[in-house]
Amino acid sequence: MAYRYVVGGGGLVLMGFGGALLLEQPEPWRVAVWLAGGVLVHDGLIAPLVFACAALAVAVGPRPRGVPRAALVVAGSLTVIALPPLLRPGGVANATVLPFDYARNWLLAMAAVAVLTLVYAGVRALLRRAVRRR
Amino acid sequence: MRLIPSPRPPIGFKGRLHDARTATVIGRWLGLAVVACFATGVLSHVLQHPPVWLVDRLPSRPHWGYRLTQGLHVASGIAAIPLLLAKLWAVYPRLFAWPPVRSVRHALERLSVAVLVAAGIFELFTGLLNTFQWYPWPFSFVPVHHAVGWLLVGALLLHVAVQWPVIRDHFTRRSPGTLTLPAADGPDRRQLLAAVAAGVGAVTLTTVGQSVTALGPLELFGPRSPDHGPQGLPVNRTAAAARVTEASLTGWRLSVDGPRPYSLTLEELHAMAQHEVTLPLACVEGWSKSARWTVVRVRDLLDRAGGSPDVGCRVVSLEAAGAYRVTDMGRSYARDPLTLLALGLNGEVLSLDHGYPARIIAPNRPGVLQTKWVGRLEVR
Repeated sequence: MAYRYVVGGGGLVLMGFGGALLLEQPEPWRVAVWLAGGVLVHDGLIAPLVFACAALAVAVGPRPRGVPRAALVVAGSLTVIALPPLLRPGGVANATVLPFDYARNWLLAMAAVAVLTLVYAGVRALLRRAVRRR
Repeated sequence: MRLIPSPRPPIGFKGRLHDARTATVIGRWLGLAVVACFATGVLSHVLQHPPVWLVDRLPSRPHWGYRLTQGLHVASGIAAIPLLLAKLWAVYPRLFAWPPVRSVRHALERLSVAVLVAAGIFELFTGLLNTFQWYPWPFSFVPVHHAVGWLLVGALLLHVAVQWPVIRDHFTRRSPGTLTLPAADGPDRRQLLAAVAAGVGAVTLTTVGQSVTALGPLELFGPRSPDHGPQGLPVNRTAAAARVTEASLTGWRLSVDGPRPYSLTLEELHAMAQHEVTLPLACVEGWSKSARWTVVRVRDLLDRAGGSPDVGCRVVSLEAAGAYRVTDMGRSYARDPLTLLALGLNGEVLSLDHGYPARIIAPNRPGVLQTKWVGRLEVR
């Protein structure tokens, strides 16, 4: 039991240290706004959108599970990390910064996910049929 | 008649897998990623801004150390993005717990979770955008990202301590808590976890080529590529940005200050540069690449100025302004035979953007301290 209090207390100390470092900043409230903003954008916008999409999928078809859900998770993860170079405004410091055509690469990644998903689902369906015939 | 308040939340979630077992498994992966990211981040901070008592004791070996740890810092941060989103998905219904606050203790617990979530989102968001050199926020990145890192790891420890009974009861497939969950969810959960793992693998494979040169061909979304850069190496600060021009370098001499100060022309330095050494350039933004440098040892230059074996070195660049125009290296770096003044890169004379006529290249050192356009070395 005691070790929980030690770990929790240690956590509080580290939080205090981080908070003290933040208060040394010229305008800490600006950081607080961005800290709270991240939570608000996730909890109030991104998460409801994901849940709404899932509800929509359930309404029009089967619950998204298994391979289709995995494809959505992978495609979504790739899209999240592709967003900064896709949306970043302004020029770059030099030609070696952001050297790729990120829109093309994102389309490539989405196509790769779609192809891999179809191939996987196809192979699995064939295997199942073979097993059933035997 | 009195209206009895409903004990049920105003919002219901019918979806499966928003349970403690799912949260425990994803939380373990996320916790590992956060701890790895934090440890490597603090290490990088110390190497860049060492406390005075540590300046002369920073390890200059292994020579690939910073390349590994900073590559790991950025890779673990990117891997944590799908993990954090999946973790928040798993626990999202708890946001609507009803009643919202049951007691002072419950309120404090929820507040600590709010800090944890806020710090987690903030660190991954600012860290990712920093690698793309995108700064939409009105504060300075380095000190704030560092401070919130401590806030995050502290809130994580507190969270683990508070939730420990739940974590313990769902730690394995056969733990008592896991067994109380519907058995039918087991295969579904394993599929979801496999999907999240695949997401982590996908974001890692499409970005890690920026630090693992061999995986360069798979890179789709990294901000740097080992294949893009003059003389086979990416550039961060160009000569134009540092306001260094060919014209401003005419008559350049390297001055070395010490008990017996002297200066050398570029020809004299080239005559001394007999070594070729392979060392990586590893940036704080995570990208890194190995290169062959034609070099003179900094130790030899300092010794000739009468530096004793227990001194450090100050490096002064010719750049007009910039936070790293003047950098100090402690004794451990200054005496390391792999701390070098490079004149050539991959068999060619150093290009202006890579620091012509001479730049520092030292082992286990953040790229921002590998001073370019060196004008003066001072024995300290």
